[in-house]
Amino acid sequence: METLLGIKGPDFVMLAADTTHARSIIVMKEDQNKIHKVSDSLLISTVGESGDTEQFTEFISKNIALYKMRNGYDLSPRESAHFTRKNLAEYLRSRTPYQVFMFVAGYDPNAGPELTFIDYLANALPVNYAGHGYGAIFASSIYDRYWHPNITQAEAYDVFKKCIAEIQKRLVVNLKNFTVAVVDKDGVRDLEPISAASLAA
Amino acid sequence: MSILAYNGGCVVAMRGKDCVAIATDHRFGIQAQTISTDFKKVFHIGPRMFLGLTGLQTDILTVRDRLMFRKNLYETRENREMCPKPFSAMMSSFLYEHRFGPYFIEPVVAGLDPKTMEPFICNMDLIGCPNAPDDFVVAGTCAEQLYGMCETLWKPDLEPDQLFEVIAQSIVNAFDRDAMSGWGATVYIIEKDKITERTLKTRMD
Amino acid sequence: MALAEICKISNAPYMRPNAWSSADVEEEQKGLMCNLANPYTLAAPPFENPLHNLNQIQANGDKTGVKINFDHGTTTLGFKFKGGVLLAVDSRATGGSYIGSQSMKKIVEINQFMLGTLAGGAADCVYWDRVLSKECRLHELRNKERISVAAASKIMANIAHEYKGMGLSMGMMLAGYDKRGPGLYYVDSEGSRTPGNLFSVGSGSLYAYGVLDSGYHWDLEDKEAQELGRRAIYHATFRDAYSGGIIRVYHIKEDGWVNISNTDCMELHYMYQEQLKQQAAK
Repeated sequence: METLLGIKGPDFVMLAADTTHARSIIVMKEDQNKIHKVSDSLLISTVGESGDTEQFTEFISKNIALYKMRNGYDLSPRESAHFTRKNLAEYLRSRTPYQVFMFVAGYDPNAGPELTFIDYLANALPVNYAGHGYGAIFASSIYDRYWHPNITQAEAYDVFKKCIAEIQKRLVVNLKNFTVAVVDKDGVRDLEPISAASLAA
Repeated sequence: MSILAYNGGCVVAMRGKDCVAIATDHRFGIQAQTISTDFKKVFHIGPRMFLGLTGLQTDILTVRDRLMFRKNLYETRENREMCPKPFSAMMSSFLYEHRFGPYFIEPVVAGLDPKTMEPFICNMDLIGCPNAPDDFVVAGTCAEQLYGMCETLWKPDLEPDQLFEVIAQSIVNAFDRDAMSGWGATVYIIEKDKITERTLKTRMD
Repeated sequence: MALAEICKISNAPYMRPNAWSSADVEEEQKGLMCNLANPYTLAAPPFENPLHNLNQIQANGDKTGVKINFDHGTTTLGFKFKGGVLLAVDSRATGGSYIGSQSMKKIVEINQFMLGTLAGGAADCVYWDRVLSKECRLHELRNKERISVAAASKIMANIAHEYKGMGLSMGMMLAGYDKRGPGLYYVDSEGSRTPGNLFSVGSGSLYAYGVLDSGYHWDLEDKEAQELGRRAIYHATFRDAYSGGIIRVYHIKEDGWVNISNTDCMELHYMYQEQLKQQAAK
């Protein structure tokens, strides 16, 4: 299964996501981007049932964009997470629930960085670090071991490298490439992807 | 496994002499995997009123938000503070509204009546059958263990500091025998002129 | 007796006092204590086709309420390194989500040079490890030399394979030091048996692997290896609801095993938290 990772530091949030798009036993493509830039300082990464992921992420991001058009200012990361959760929770008790797992990551100039864990039941919680999917189980103890409150972006990137090396070593499913993105006071930007090849180098 | 035990967690509330106490654990898990250890299931919803919710975390958040909406509406309309008793009645009917597709939570209310300062505790099942005894109420994955501890340690007319000791010992020893709750705990003691919040040092396994 | 005489039944077979032959007595005894003499004879399940029906009963257990909640849930690990073999385990036993014990001994001391870890059904592991201890001792007496880890693990794998599909649940590591040097084998109730340098078994093994793989290399010093094992189990107890209690670390060297430490998780947690705080302050 697909894997999402997320780490919050004192002044940034970093996300990583694998790039595999699989259907039944077939890998359809190897360069699917699962980290979406929603606004200047907001990222949403999504995995889950294909179709649901695109539809729901787009629905959320377009509504957040609409909010900015209407009001002239952005929804804060916390508000965005609340909005996302509320919609997911309402759909959960409808005839058409969305099966999505996501991270809402953003940087608020006043409140600082914010990373929210949301699963398909709309369980939601702000966290310092977490993951989704089978790969995240291996990652969680690596976070516990190497994360600390003053973690820098370079250190967080290193922790991701450790996690991804472990996922590629122990998980039965082959997740070759991971995209990495970060959001901080300067906005969102992509970092160098982590792949089996780049880890070997 | 029951959906009520999907995320784990527990809450207990007790009556004392002119005071009440409510305690929560800190675990948020997905079945056996612990995701976070700072999710408190007790919310400060009025000057002397606390709401504890255990069960499915998504419903904990939804129910808390919806109840706060109703409570705020009541307070705006009536221009007075909502007492624990009518709040519980309101919650009961709110939960029964979803009789045929319930929220998977078990609520606990603890507070002092703003006028009489009479202690009040109450819990409910997931569709709103209220129960307001004069000793203690429990909810969560280690409810059995909590009953055992409370039955043994609780006695009438405990002073606030004694009540703290009793509730802290009860919750800690109860969840130490339960795999799905624990990972830290917080106790709130509500008295007429102050509220004390204390974090307990517990096992983290 | 008089009545029996009159009725002419005093010679009937059922009126004769029991004059059991020693063969009869033996037969009777066998039924009463079959696995006392031979640990491999277990009572068969009291229904036909146990292989199929036992699974059915377990599968329908939630509905019928007769599900057997065996004690399970564990984190154990073992690895070979420069300085020998290291084993580390937790000590929690759970039945469902109820914590039955926080002080289980999940490392079995088979002899002075060999240890076994238990994961899975607690009773299964304890019983068969005891049988294995006996077999190892007998081997020693018969052959005047200690059994190799390879041979001991083969005995275990044979037992497991014999009962395959009957619902045994075991995942164990056998570790020891023999004439071939350090040995580490993984054996489970599916009957698989495989040697290796690094294993972790149980519900918390995924978490333990995370820490273990990122800190493991062959040239670890003794102290480093012991700390790595302890730390890996600690992180597993933190994340896995079904692991916890006391962390036991054993180190096997050329001259036999040593119990390095038995530390409460709580103590370790607050020690590591303190280290994290000091690190942050710097």
